[in-house]
Amino acid sequence: MSAHSHVDGQLPHEPEKATLEGRNKVLGFWLFLGGETVLFGTLFGAYLTLRHQVGDGNPTSQELFDLTLVAIATFILLTSSLTSVFAIQAMHKNQVKAMLNWLIVTVLLGLGFLILEIYEFLHYLHLGHGFTTSAFSSSFYTLVGFHGAHVAFGIFWITLLIIQVFKRGLNTTTAPKVYVAGLYWHFIDVVWVFIFTVVYLMGKVG
Amino acid sequence: MSSNHSASASEHQGKRHKVEGPQKHVVAYIFSLVLTLLAFATVIAGEVNTAFTYILLVFMAMLQVYIQMAFWMHMKDRGHIYAIIGILMGTFVVLTIVVMAEYWTWW
Repeated sequence: MSAHSHVDGQLPHEPEKATLEGRNKVLGFWLFLGGETVLFGTLFGAYLTLRHQVGDGNPTSQELFDLTLVAIATFILLTSSLTSVFAIQAMHKNQVKAMLNWLIVTVLLGLGFLILEIYEFLHYLHLGHGFTTSAFSSSFYTLVGFHGAHVAFGIFWITLLIIQVFKRGLNTTTAPKVYVAGLYWHFIDVVWVFIFTVVYLMGKVG
Repeated sequence: MSSNHSASASEHQGKRHKVEGPQKHVVAYIFSLVLTLLAFATVIAGEVNTAFTYILLVFMAMLQVYIQMAFWMHMKDRGHIYAIIGILMGTFVVLTIVVMAEYWTWW
């Protein structure tokens, strides 16, 4: 069966799993997420090891972190996870326009999160918390910055998918790509849950 | 082999599925928001001792991650055994790394 055998309006309920290629793509992506879990685990391990190595006269996590900013960023990313769910639900109902709209909202929320993170980093730089200030600052920027880079990549990826679906339509080739991009976006949110818990909230507690 | 796959795909496409509504996802979102607010409130209030706060924060984070993975990433649905194995293996390595980092590095 050809991957392109379904035309718009005649897609199966779960088009991402309608072909062997689609199912393999989803399975392979889950294995990739397992690898990403390990990658972020090593960064969390490094941060937990070095979080008290602040050095003399440098700001500590308790002095540094602004929880209001983190709370807003968390709200934005959590909401973007919900909008990506709505996009996948629209895809399952074969509502291409609604799916694209929800994906655009997801990208915009991701951009909002990224802008807040850049603002936060600049704010910390002004407070004397640079990348090479201390072992704590290096591990902090590496962990949180790496997550930010994942968000930036996700925005880029989903934007390309929006353009592709807009041009080629939703079919059994494009649907698995949208589905795994949704998984990726949820994974970014899962990592952020641990970042705001372990880095920011525990950092504020001391 | 390929005929099996074709048969499986056809069977999959032939099934009439019930399209799920947004309600349970909205409930999961609200639950996640409440957990997030509770976590921030616990730290801002600062009334609880540090060790208990840590445990509470990690518990709430785990609960939130469960919601994300089970409902939004569909891990509770059938056919996700390899996804669960992949994530569990990753989690096992992560826990090993974190415990090592936390308890062995500065001995």
